[in-house]
Amino acid sequence: MPETITYSQRLHMRLQLADYLIILVYFIFVIGVGFLIKKKIKSSNDFLTSNRSIPLWITSLAFISANLGAQEVIGMVASGAKYGIMTVHFYWVGAIFAMVFLGVFMMPFYYGSRARSVPEYLSLRFDEKTRGLNAISFAVMTVFSSGISLYALAKLMETILHWDFDISIWISAGIVMVYTFLGGLTSAVYNEVLQFFLIVLGLSPLVVISLQDAGGWENIKALLQPEMTHAWKYMGNANDNPMGLHFMSLIFGLGFVMSFGYWCTDFLVVQRAMIARNMGDAQRTPIIAAIPKMLMPLIVVLPGLIAITLMQPALLSKGYRIPSTADGELDYTMTLPSLIAHYYPTGILGVGITALIASFMSGMAGNVTAFNSVFTFDIYQSYFVKNKSDRHYLLVGKGITVIGILISIATAYIAKSFNNINDFLQLVFGFVNGPLFATFLLGMFWKRTTGHGAFWGLVAGTLAAAITHGVTVAEGKGGWIAGLYTIKSGMGQAFIVAAVSWIVNFFTTIAVSLVTKPKPDEELRGLVYSLTEKPKYHQQKWYLRVVPLGILLLAITLVLNIIFF
Amino acid sequence: MLKKLNDLQFVIGLFFTIVSLILLFNVLLGNNSASPLNTYTGGGFLVFGLAMMLIRGRRR
Repeated sequence: MPETITYSQRLHMRLQLADYLIILVYFIFVIGVGFLIKKKIKSSNDFLTSNRSIPLWITSLAFISANLGAQEVIGMVASGAKYGIMTVHFYWVGAIFAMVFLGVFMMPFYYGSRARSVPEYLSLRFDEKTRGLNAISFAVMTVFSSGISLYALAKLMETILHWDFDISIWISAGIVMVYTFLGGLTSAVYNEVLQFFLIVLGLSPLVVISLQDAGGWENIKALLQPEMTHAWKYMGNANDNPMGLHFMSLIFGLGFVMSFGYWCTDFLVVQRAMIARNMGDAQRTPIIAAIPKMLMPLIVVLPGLIAITLMQPALLSKGYRIPSTADGELDYTMTLPSLIAHYYPTGILGVGITALIASFMSGMAGNVTAFNSVFTFDIYQSYFVKNKSDRHYLLVGKGITVIGILISIATAYIAKSFNNINDFLQLVFGFVNGPLFATFLLGMFWKRTTGHGAFWGLVAGTLAAAITHGVTVAEGKGGWIAGLYTIKSGMGQAFIVAAVSWIVNFFTTIAVSLVTKPKPDEELRGLVYSLTEKPKYHQQKWYLRVVPLGILLLAITLVLNIIFF
Repeated sequence: MLKKLNDLQFVIGLFFTIVSLILLFNVLLGNNSASPLNTYTGGGFLVFGLAMMLIRGRRR
């Protein structure tokens, strides 16, 4: 058994002048981007939707970067260490297919309907109550997510750098506030692209040097248990693999329900495609973004595998250990910070820390900009103050940005006092997100779907998610109604909850739609597949067409799955 | 120069160029000179940063 090593022994990093300089340069640049964008902000559309003027390469990188928050970066490295290469399923099963589907089938409706947000699309396709339900739940989720991201940043900085918790909260929130307040969505998107390069280039040297230390991929395979280095081989039985999942749960729960629910309906990411210059670019955005997404496991999964390999008896001389908590358990969430502490000297250490800060700020700014768009357009303008001047909504958008960040700060402090609130919020997010894709799938591809069907389907799906969680227990969580079923892993439980909520939503929506009156066809043109003119691609070269590009990506994904089978 | 700052590609290139110079100066000043990591990373960032700035300039 490895000796118990506390955070302070293993993780404390001492920054020097060069490290602080790099962090300072980063802060100056992100704020500077806000100032540069500020003079282009003339209307509420400029501030909240970038006026659909952003080039393809920026929307694509922002699309993936909006998802590249700290929970993603640190969480996936932790999963890599805990579950091994099966973590790649979150990319090759749980992302690429949904991103291609979004680009080929769903973007024409989002972009073509001229909706400014996903809830606004729901209003056009269904009715106001469905929009309201989605807008309110989304606004609450994003602002709390932003707060949790902020809390996690301050906690990490306190642990590894011994920075004061309050100072970390106020400085990072203050910087995000300055650049989102000045430049709105465009500023957040531009900074997301900078953050993307910083995260990828800042963590790449860590992968190279630690992989070298671990003896390369062949040595990793030789030293670890085979189930840690095979993505599919041990998924025929849930008891044979570290995630405790059967492949069917994975494919339906993650690959279909959760993945499509997130990538195709979450306004936080879809918004990045909706600000493209034209329909072609909007469709290509998620497909181009899928290319770096496919390769992201090299940056965020491989380091976890390397970390656990370095702890094997043959490599103990390397002196690396994942830190342990007070009760002696490995604290996987500290895998990435501990790798940075172990391998990065002064200078590049500043780059690594800045990359971590960037990932937190990227997640927070993404949430705040999605929140202010939805709040301004879908809640304030729709239900409270209609028909005011554009300047009024611009000012409201800016004010909501500040309020959103203040709520995030309050959430961060609540999370500090009540540790369980993180788990609770994640759980509630799962209940709301799980069933959502069924609503969009039926709404876009079955013209008979009604507003009442969509609304009650969403309500029933969310309730089904809560009840399923209440009757299942996994790793001591759930079972708050009655612990009727035991599931091996929390991840498996999440997939089952999502799958049940999706199925309940799907059938409830169909049942209610069949007994309620649908909208006439002329009101659904541009909103439903069968009533919408399909985009014509034949004038374009193959590499500009979304269908061949999507097929190519799916083929490469298939090959990757076979290689690491 | 001010106009170029409106160009995101130029801004990203400038950022990585400055960071690379900090890393390389750190090596030149003798801090962590034993570690080649700063040198290689600094060199890599410099090439990337300059390429981002210059390629954009040529295209214009």
